[in-house]
Amino acid sequence: MNAVCARMTLASALLASAPASAQSVTMEVDVSGGVSTENVRAGAVQGRLFGASASDWRFFVEATFGGADGQRSDAFSASYPYDGRLRPMEIYGEKMFRPRNGLLGVRAGRYRTPFGLSLRGDHGYTGFTRAPLIRYGDRFALSTTSMEGGVSVIAGSPRLYAETSFGVPQDEGTLQRRHGLDFTVRVQGYYKSVIAGASHIDTGRDKSLGSFAAGRAAFNGIDGRWSSSGVQLRGEWISGHPFDAVATRGGYLDLIVHRVGMGPVTAVARIERLDYDAFVPAFSLYLHRFTAGARVRLPWCLSGQVNVMHQPTGLAAGRTNVLDAGLSCTVRR
Amino acid sequence: MRLICAGLLAVLVVGRAAPAVDLPGTTALRDKPIANAVVWLEAPLAPATKVEQNVVLDQRNLAFLPRVLAVRVGTTVGFPNNDRVFHDVFSFRDGKKFELGLYPVGTVKHVPFDRPGLSRIFCNIHPAMAAYILAVDTPYFAVSDREGRFTIAEIPAGAYTYHAWRPGGDTLTGSAAVHAGTSLDVKWP
Repeated sequence: MNAVCARMTLASALLASAPASAQSVTMEVDVSGGVSTENVRAGAVQGRLFGASASDWRFFVEATFGGADGQRSDAFSASYPYDGRLRPMEIYGEKMFRPRNGLLGVRAGRYRTPFGLSLRGDHGYTGFTRAPLIRYGDRFALSTTSMEGGVSVIAGSPRLYAETSFGVPQDEGTLQRRHGLDFTVRVQGYYKSVIAGASHIDTGRDKSLGSFAAGRAAFNGIDGRWSSSGVQLRGEWISGHPFDAVATRGGYLDLIVHRVGMGPVTAVARIERLDYDAFVPAFSLYLHRFTAGARVRLPWCLSGQVNVMHQPTGLAAGRTNVLDAGLSCTVRR
Repeated sequence: MRLICAGLLAVLVVGRAAPAVDLPGTTALRDKPIANAVVWLEAPLAPATKVEQNVVLDQRNLAFLPRVLAVRVGTTVGFPNNDRVFHDVFSFRDGKKFELGLYPVGTVKHVPFDRPGLSRIFCNIHPAMAAYILAVDTPYFAVSDREGRFTIAEIPAGAYTYHAWRPGGDTLTGSAAVHAGTSLDVKWP
């Protein structure tokens, strides 16, 4: 059913967005590989096609193939699944309008669930090799690879707008929500160097949970970003329940430094936690993690990422410290 | 009264001595026309005309538009974000050095380009986004189009030294006699 929905979404998005004669079309390919001392080796390739018509209807089509061997882990999970399957990711058409000084945009197709810091670029290219604890699929919260098949509308002004999405879950990766209409709303404000948002989602619970779980999932979140002179602080706090009678809450705070004088290096650090209160206490999960690392833009198409992590519990084979290293090449035509 | 008459006479003489002409030309790599080459003429005595301020390097559809932007020194360039995603525009290597941080769709940040030189512009979130801004200390410059054609407008006729730059190439220098009907063909070997 999910595959059928994905194909229908792809077809409708392409029909809606592809003009008879596109003004611009760009093709982009990312190839990446990585190793982790958590006994994980991973490789992936992503292909993207995007562009705009003469009337500025835009389209975006993306597919990914990623695989990993070794220990089951969230290593390299930042924004794509690594499960050895070729799969579509975001496939949509969109149009932006600027009535007077306002902002109105519509997007139709398949897109990342617009809850909090949810963009591909929020997690995939910032210098972190892993998704935040609260945004990795099998931890009873949200996932960076959650997708919606539906329609998203933003309305307001560049300083303050609301985004509303109606659709059905079309997830990739470890979190696979049950089908049925779901709803996400997010409000974002921008003032000087601060961008702040608040989000709510009401959606289906994870299909893999079995008969002990009932009810729907619902989460609320707040997020913020501050940036000045090459220093960026950002974070999220998310709280809710993945199904009835349990609760998940957690968040992260990121420091991203890319100042004049640092050349090709971006330094990153993250502190985060996740608390999952199960109705059987033995299944509860309480994690926290510290990450420090860097992303380096290398010559040609290359960029490298190195992360050092400390996590007292929850890593494979009883480890508490892990090093992840990855190398990517991005080519655009 | 004599002074005013002398001034008017001087203006007329200068005006007649240096009529403004347009200089068309082409840019090519070997024999293949190339786009996005910048050609400019040295003009240290050029009038300090008002610098155009509505100059933008757009962030649209995960790309910078245009890919090569030439501006006169003193120009303030706007960097509007017209994507629903964030960009983080920076220039660290040469020319003007800056880092703009994050700002949402529909908003714009500005950077003054107050010295001549080449700035390489990137986005720290989208590694394939790249552009060049070349600030030149002259009002006489142009960027070649897809067919490798350019026109430098309203140049006082005379003898000039020209420079030409293209992405990934050396800067060429030569001399050009500019008068009605002449053109300038720049070719990289």
